[in-house]
Amino acid sequence: MKISLNWLKQYIDLNDLSVDDVVNGLITAGLEVDEMVNQTELYKNFVVGFVKEKKKHPNADKLSLCIINDGVADYSVVCGAPNVDKNQKIVFAKIGAVIPEGGFEIKPVKLRGEKSEGMICSERELSISDNHDGIMVLDASLKEGTDISEALKMNDVIFDIDITPNRADALSHFGVARDLSAVLNRSLIEPELKFTEENKKSSDYADIIIENEVDCPRYAAKVVTGVEIKESPEWLKTRLKSLGLRPINNVVDVTNFVLHELGQPLHAFDLDQLAGNKIVVKSAVNKEKFVTLDSKERELSADDLLICDGEKGVAIAGVMGGENSEVTVNTKNILIESAYFRPSAVRKTAKKLGLSTDASYRFERGCNPDIVVFAARRCAMLIAELGGGNIASGEIDVYPKEIVKKNVTLRFSRISKILGYSIANEQVENILVKLGINVLNKDLETLFCEIPLFRPDIEREIDLIEEIARVYGYDNIPSVSKISITLDPKTDQSGFSEKIRYSLASLGFREIITNSLLNEETAKKFGNAINILNPQSYEMANTRPSLLPGMLSTFSKNIKVREHNLKYFEVGHIFEKKSEGEIKSFDDIFENEFLLMGITGKSDEDQWYTKTKNYDIYDLRGNVEDFLSKNLLDKDSRYEYNQQNNSFFDQYFELFVRDVHVGFGGKVKTNIAELFDIKQDVFAFNINLDVLKQVESKEKRFTELLKYPKIIRDFAIVLDKSVEYGQVVKSIFAINSKLLKNVKLFDIFESESLGEDKKSMAFQLEFYDENRTLTEEEVNKDFWNAIEIVKKDFNAQLRG
Amino acid sequence: MEDRIKSIQTDFDNEIAVVDDIKKLEEIRLKYLSRKGLVPLLFEDFRKLPSDEKPKYGKTLNILKNVVQQKFDDVKNNLEMNASGKKSTVDLTLPARRNEVGSLHILTQTLYEMKEIFKGLGFSVYEGPELESDFNNFEALNFPADHPARDMQDTFFINENFLLRTHTSPVQVRLMKSKKPPLRAIMPGKVYRNEAISAKSYCLFHQVEGLYVDTDVTFAELKGTLVAFAQQFFGENVKYRFRPSFFPFTEPSAEVDIWWEPKGKQGRWLEILGCGMVDPNVLRNVDIDPEKYTGYAFGMGVERTAMLRYGITDIRTFFDNDKRFLTQF
Repeated sequence: MKISLNWLKQYIDLNDLSVDDVVNGLITAGLEVDEMVNQTELYKNFVVGFVKEKKKHPNADKLSLCIINDGVADYSVVCGAPNVDKNQKIVFAKIGAVIPEGGFEIKPVKLRGEKSEGMICSERELSISDNHDGIMVLDASLKEGTDISEALKMNDVIFDIDITPNRADALSHFGVARDLSAVLNRSLIEPELKFTEENKKSSDYADIIIENEVDCPRYAAKVVTGVEIKESPEWLKTRLKSLGLRPINNVVDVTNFVLHELGQPLHAFDLDQLAGNKIVVKSAVNKEKFVTLDSKERELSADDLLICDGEKGVAIAGVMGGENSEVTVNTKNILIESAYFRPSAVRKTAKKLGLSTDASYRFERGCNPDIVVFAARRCAMLIAELGGGNIASGEIDVYPKEIVKKNVTLRFSRISKILGYSIANEQVENILVKLGINVLNKDLETLFCEIPLFRPDIEREIDLIEEIARVYGYDNIPSVSKISITLDPKTDQSGFSEKIRYSLASLGFREIITNSLLNEETAKKFGNAINILNPQSYEMANTRPSLLPGMLSTFSKNIKVREHNLKYFEVGHIFEKKSEGEIKSFDDIFENEFLLMGITGKSDEDQWYTKTKNYDIYDLRGNVEDFLSKNLLDKDSRYEYNQQNNSFFDQYFELFVRDVHVGFGGKVKTNIAELFDIKQDVFAFNINLDVLKQVESKEKRFTELLKYPKIIRDFAIVLDKSVEYGQVVKSIFAINSKLLKNVKLFDIFESESLGEDKKSMAFQLEFYDENRTLTEEEVNKDFWNAIEIVKKDFNAQLRG
Repeated sequence: MEDRIKSIQTDFDNEIAVVDDIKKLEEIRLKYLSRKGLVPLLFEDFRKLPSDEKPKYGKTLNILKNVVQQKFDDVKNNLEMNASGKKSTVDLTLPARRNEVGSLHILTQTLYEMKEIFKGLGFSVYEGPELESDFNNFEALNFPADHPARDMQDTFFINENFLLRTHTSPVQVRLMKSKKPPLRAIMPGKVYRNEAISAKSYCLFHQVEGLYVDTDVTFAELKGTLVAFAQQFFGENVKYRFRPSFFPFTEPSAEVDIWWEPKGKQGRWLEILGCGMVDPNVLRNVDIDPEKYTGYAFGMGVERTAMLRYGITDIRTFFDNDKRFLTQF
């Protein structure tokens, strides 16, 4: 919301304060200043100039060569505007001026061979209006050399204030002034109401009927007749323009002025266009069509409140007026609407129509039902002042059920209980009074307060405490310098995933964080994805059912910038619907924290000492095993190597920890990788961290170190190529030796001399006993048993 | 005897100091350390001493022997190394053999840093689901239906009752429903906002939310705790201010700004977190008596803080996961 400092000064004396002081006051009050434009600084080096001479530019048809006087010296300036002429007073941007529109600085230049020491400006270049047809021609009476900010009364400071949704009371200059008056402890000046009324009453001109009292608790109207519709005077146009509003005519401008002065939205109807001289406030009919002021046809429903005359709709209540009853140059008689509409009703309508106006913005936050008559009078007074005409006496004020002010009791003791700091009782009371809160009664412990209707946000004691803290100044409440800590056992639910992340980083994986929202096509391909009802775009219409698409698109993006060798992981939530039906409870959703490890390319670029190879499935399996070993789970794990068809992976394998299925992965299928435009092999493995956390052993135990020597025996055998390593190991352990503790494959090769379909595997067997030294004989016995059983089971032959 | 020991030591020291080749070193070995050398001869004479004099010299003699041997070995090693160095074929300037180094995402690092600070201040850490109920995300936190406060957080809805959480505050609700005060915890995690993606905003970000509910929790303590955090996180001399704001679930509410002045740029106030005293309605919604208990809550964005600290200007950079970005942290 834009607030003009000059305008603000109508309601509070701020003349002794610097702009920074005012900004600090606003921030203390909780009115955050987002941006600020200081016009005096903005128009520095812009002065009134006098065009002493004008001749044609010798080298350009459309340019002219002017001599500009600024009261002190003459400057030659090249100008391209068609309307520049001798003896004009113009806006002269001197060397060093920064053009507000565009932000470029004026420097001495040569244009087509002629020097130019400044610029003659258009309204658009000054950010005054959109007009760029020609230069801005000033009043001839202005003295050359006068600063433009002074000449055009553009010496204002405009604040852009971020008003939080609870502060409906501050959505006007008077409201902001009220907050400042409390923070700065200064008096507040009410806008003037001084006018004479004719004998004829407003109610003699029109009737008002409220049919929907729920959505329209109060509707007041005042009539002004014989008004001349014309351009507003400069002071009013300046006020509106300073907020970026376009002046229209004196009547419309006054309604806008009062809205920004008091926060009460008003509407001016052409009384002669109101059939039956009558206003009826009622719910619209379903599918009723209505053309608003912006010439757009809107479709309404029974939930929308419509202001009607005797025959038809004339305005959508609290949102926008209708084209059919707007004030035009021919208008003579005016009915001013000043009403209070139920906030959530306006909000619903505005939201549905996608129409947010200055009026709806205020109504939906909650206007002040008590100000409607004052605002109507202020509006009538200003219309009569600017457009002549007679103000009908009194108002038609339909207010069937008065809205009762809330009473709130404030205990002084509660203030220090919440704030941890006591504020003197007198100061507390003063703050509340300055904010317009009525202290009905008080004793040593308590204040009994009546809350004005312009503060719908204050309902409870805690709300008053906030007001006191806010106005007193948060920075004036001292911080404690020590805190006490409870000794209850502390929990860290994120500790497990933290440990997981660190273990992956130690294995050389880099963590990525990808978008959990996917486009529908991808999401549905990877699982039973959940739809978002109101997606921002097609690309983010579903929650992810898997981390794999995020990993693949990350790989794809990296490969495009020539980063081919990638070793990444992500820890994140995935979401799936358990069934096709509507999600009615958390039981219908599957949300789990998952880990995905992904590798592609090579472990490194080729180096002088080695030629690196592409990652393959054994790298991935190694990563998985290292990960488990890092987390002390390797001893409790087993794998299943399922060659059956999986939709996403070839070389598919699954991980079980303590016999619980926790993970799966393999080589990403080529057709899946191609969806992401990836042409190199990708290996990926998923682990459900929520499940892993369940089966993780919380206990760590020390195992006594072996005190006796290990005995190592090697053998190599030749067997059929089709025999798998796993089968052989299983077979070796089948000898049931108590001494055989480990089997290691240390070589595997194929060659012509071994014969086609044959391979050689070399094993190392490790024997030991925790309690004694072994004898050669007992080891040899088990060793030869192992060889024999392998020979027998696989028709293998012992080598050399 | 004593004089002989001293003079041998001095002579040896002088002679070995000027040795610069293997030949001269060999001469010294022969003179002092060989079987007929001066040191073994000393030992022979020592054995001839009367037994009551032996303890007097035994120790010094042993020291002499060790020192001489040690110095001799050092010089020998040096000479040998110099000699071989000339012939060495090890090119030490060749690129080193390195392993792939892993890393945590900078957002995770930042979040963990925040977590560590709060753990040090006695906070527990709780997590919750990202797909939440409207009740936990809004209703219980004092956001009435059809209230403009709901516009503050553009929401991705799944249906009428479920949504992607817009803040980590629903974890507060879950925690307060399941445990009784005192409760002091932070709740980190992903949150979602239905906004157009740009350099300034993304459809999701990470938040760290904090909550403390007990019998005597005050606004002054909230300020103290957050100042302690800011000093640990941004540096002891951090300049900060608390200014009034509005959140439906806290009353009074505040935002904290810190003064940010990157080198060579104009300083300005930047918002880093929102906070306030837990609204009595929120406590009542989870069956905690607001007359007896008070509490504070705060929340901060991880992305925003990391962008500030590391000079990252486009929030999308975090989620592109470009290797050239990941390797910078």
